[in-house]
Amino acid sequence: MNEISILMHILSRKEDLYRIGATKDEILATLNIKNKNKSIYFQNLIINLANYVEPLGIQIRFNPLDSHWFISFDPELSDIISAYPFKSQPSLAATLFCILIYCIKNSGYVSVQDIKNIRKKENIYDDLRELRKKGYIIIHKDVNQIQLTPLIGYHLDINKLFTKLALKLK
Amino acid sequence: MQDYKDLSSYINSKIEDIKKEILSNKISLLDLELNPIFQDLKNSINIYNINKYSELYKETFKLLNQKFEELKRILLSIDNQKNFIKYLKSNPVDSELAQLLTECWIDVFYSDCMSYNFLEYSRDRFCKKNIASTELEHLEKSILTKEFLLEFPKRKFTEKLMIYFELIKNKLPCKFNDIFEDENDQIKIYEHFVYILHLLQLGKIKYHKETESLYL
Repeated sequence: MNEISILMHILSRKEDLYRIGATKDEILATLNIKNKNKSIYFQNLIINLANYVEPLGIQIRFNPLDSHWFISFDPELSDIISAYPFKSQPSLAATLFCILIYCIKNSGYVSVQDIKNIRKKENIYDDLRELRKKGYIIIHKDVNQIQLTPLIGYHLDINKLFTKLALKLK
Repeated sequence: MQDYKDLSSYINSKIEDIKKEILSNKISLLDLELNPIFQDLKNSINIYNINKYSELYKETFKLLNQKFEELKRILLSIDNQKNFIKYLKSNPVDSELAQLLTECWIDVFYSDCMSYNFLEYSRDRFCKKNIASTELEHLEKSILTKEFLLEFPKRKFTEKLMIYFELIKNKLPCKFNDIFEDENDQIKIYEHFVYILHLLQLGKIKYHKETESLYL
């Protein structure tokens, strides 16, 4: 076993419903890297791993919501349509989209009322329950607030989404 | 004469088409690859079309500058969350938002039971150069139907030289030309001439310049 095998193992494991892969500190600890140039070493490690696995049709990614490094299939090679969980539920996707935009604006939280207002839907709670079931949100009933879990950061290229949205609104 | 390419009219019409499509909002400059145009310009420029090409370069650079401006505007607006909220308040249809999500969706790879052996095997198959050993095959000797042009002599040169000497010894002394009088084959005459030169060199026979004759 070498670094590549260890990295492939820790970056492809599922910690729980919301977490996949490992943080930089976890990776360095697993590989027992303690020297003062560990950040440079880490950067080279990730670049080399990415180059190494690229021919297999997989990529190394970073989830900005929980600072985890993980592995994804190359979007050009994978069947995104079959992996997409909202195929016949555009309404659910739209609700998640609104929660995402509001949470980013409000540093992680959005009130249920705000989502209700923006979605103008009677049965918004059905969408919220479904999104909670899929692991994308947590509903804090006591304060009537919604919080995003880190899961969306694994399944959505947030930078790409914002660029596309900015292009749409220019 | 070298054939000089002139793609000026082709590139010019391409630039015009791009301008029209941008003005009619059919395409965005940010989605457009300008590299192929610059490559075409680079590959076909020469002393005959340089005047036309300098104008085309200017036009293409204008597009590139415009693209940078677009990029700058996008980068500034990415951070503008107010615009995003404003967009959501404009009641976009669900399918439009769902489509944006689909385009940015990632298929995560996770496995709790990964086979290291298979991974390494796959990596070796895909990432390493094919260094399969090459077998050397013996060449089959071809059968010659005609005589080989550079036929290997059956006898050594000195042996053939002495045989020829024995042959002409009894004719000497005689005129130089008379030595070759019975021979019609030019190759043979040349071969015998070479023998004569060698025999002269070795001192086996001598040549009298005034009478043009050979003697022992």
